[in-house]
Amino acid sequence: MTGVGADRSSGSTGSTGEGERADRPSRIADILASVGAPVFYVLSTVGDVFKTFGLAVYYTFRGKKRWDEVINQCYQIGNRSLVFITVVMAFLGMILIFQSGLQVKRITGDFSQMGAVYLPLLIRQFSPIIGALMIATRVGTGIAAEIGSMVVTEQVDALRMNATQPVKYLIVPRFIAGIFMTLVLVVYSTLVSFLAGMLTAHVYFEVPYDTFWDISLVRWADLLIGVTKTLCFGMAIPVVSGQAGLAAFGGSEGVGWATTAAVVNSSLAVIMLDFVVGGVGFMVFPTN
Amino acid sequence: MIRVAHVTKYRGRQAVLKDVSFEIPAGASLALIGPGGCGKTLLTKIIGGLVRPDQGEVWVDGQEITRLSEIELTRVRFKIGMLFQNYALFDFMDVGDNIAFPLRQEGKLDEEEIASQVEAILKEVDLPGIERLQVNELSGGMKRRVTFARAVIRRPPILVYDDPTAGLDPVTSSKIFILLDRLQRQGATTSITISHDLVGLRSICTKWAMLVAGEVVFFGTSEEIERSPTKVVRQFWMGESDEV
Repeated sequence: MTGVGADRSSGSTGSTGEGERADRPSRIADILASVGAPVFYVLSTVGDVFKTFGLAVYYTFRGKKRWDEVINQCYQIGNRSLVFITVVMAFLGMILIFQSGLQVKRITGDFSQMGAVYLPLLIRQFSPIIGALMIATRVGTGIAAEIGSMVVTEQVDALRMNATQPVKYLIVPRFIAGIFMTLVLVVYSTLVSFLAGMLTAHVYFEVPYDTFWDISLVRWADLLIGVTKTLCFGMAIPVVSGQAGLAAFGGSEGVGWATTAAVVNSSLAVIMLDFVVGGVGFMVFPTN
Repeated sequence: MIRVAHVTKYRGRQAVLKDVSFEIPAGASLALIGPGGCGKTLLTKIIGGLVRPDQGEVWVDGQEITRLSEIELTRVRFKIGMLFQNYALFDFMDVGDNIAFPLRQEGKLDEEEIASQVEAILKEVDLPGIERLQVNELSGGMKRRVTFARAVIRRPPILVYDDPTAGLDPVTSSKIFILLDRLQRQGATTSITISHDLVGLRSICTKWAMLVAGEVVFFGTSEEIERSPTKVVRQFWMGESDEV
């Protein structure tokens, strides 16, 4: 050790021999630290999300609920998202039907199955995931910003000092409202997207409305998978965003980080849940 | 009543509280002083169970709190009223609901009794009739007094005041210290007060602790701090500086 120390302290700038060997452990430690820190951050965030979810479920069934706040949150979630969802889902419906209509026209020219194929796809896949991503963007940021600013202004500490669990007081009303309103908004977005598609099909490809309005290919399994996905997303968005808010630190910069984390983490949660529920759905109800 | 034993807290690799130990007997009033950033607020948050120390123990009313779960801590926190440095008033509630919040959470009183207690405490802090004002309509001094009212309304046996007179004019500051003194006498409350107003502190506190860079450099009575030979304590007490 002394030799190495002497070599290093001799100040040889040419990095040869023992000097290099002495640097190696610290470089390895640095590499391990740089890899370990983000891994640790991800694992601890996932752990915190599951802990928050567990507490949210526990307090949903235990203790007094703030129903006035649940109704307020239902209004906030619906009000914040309605225009956004209407516009996005209408354009999505128009684009999907226009693009697929062009292909159909080129290949078979038979538009009779267009609506019948589009509706199960909407119910099972597009509406839940696109609707949930919209809600994650629009509502998740709001939840994280509200709770995050309460954290940095010590309001959450004040809640805790008054023997109030922040998850119970702040997240549970958003959790209940999130489940209910995500379902409502996804059903609404399915309708908007389908109607927009129907109008597009009629205007561009002269598909009669009653031909497009065909529910014959919709199975109960599609509805079940669509509703299950929606309920999972409705639970995930307030929990993930609320947890991001509770993890805020410092000042306004911390709130900014919390809102960014809320959007990124909620979107990731939605996509992962879509994969898991969709996969389980295909195993339980295999398509022909 | 409150015992802090060998408490150490790290931020990253830096110790922000180093082996802090002291004991406050029931009914005593401790003044926690020291330069800004020395760890006073952090220490009060550890005593309130809001932050867990990395080492050491904290005993509140005979119970060691550092290993308690959040739900177990709820029972301990019912015994503590805390006035926060940054007001921490709920901005989604009006003044009346803010002050009534601890009583509603306790769930012992009906709405009529809560309303009359809120009215009484607002009169006590010289802000009668402002129950329906929103928090953002209040001045800094009014916010401080509303925060004070919320902290003391349940008359908890332990009170922690983090800079109760910051930003207040001398008259209101003096009124706040008179209120603190009255509460102390009425309820035999154990209290910890952080303030830079040494004159006000002298009127209410029987014990003094001074923190410098996270370490306790003095713990003792008012008489002992006045005669302390330690340079940093004497300088702080006399308001002196090394620089000319």
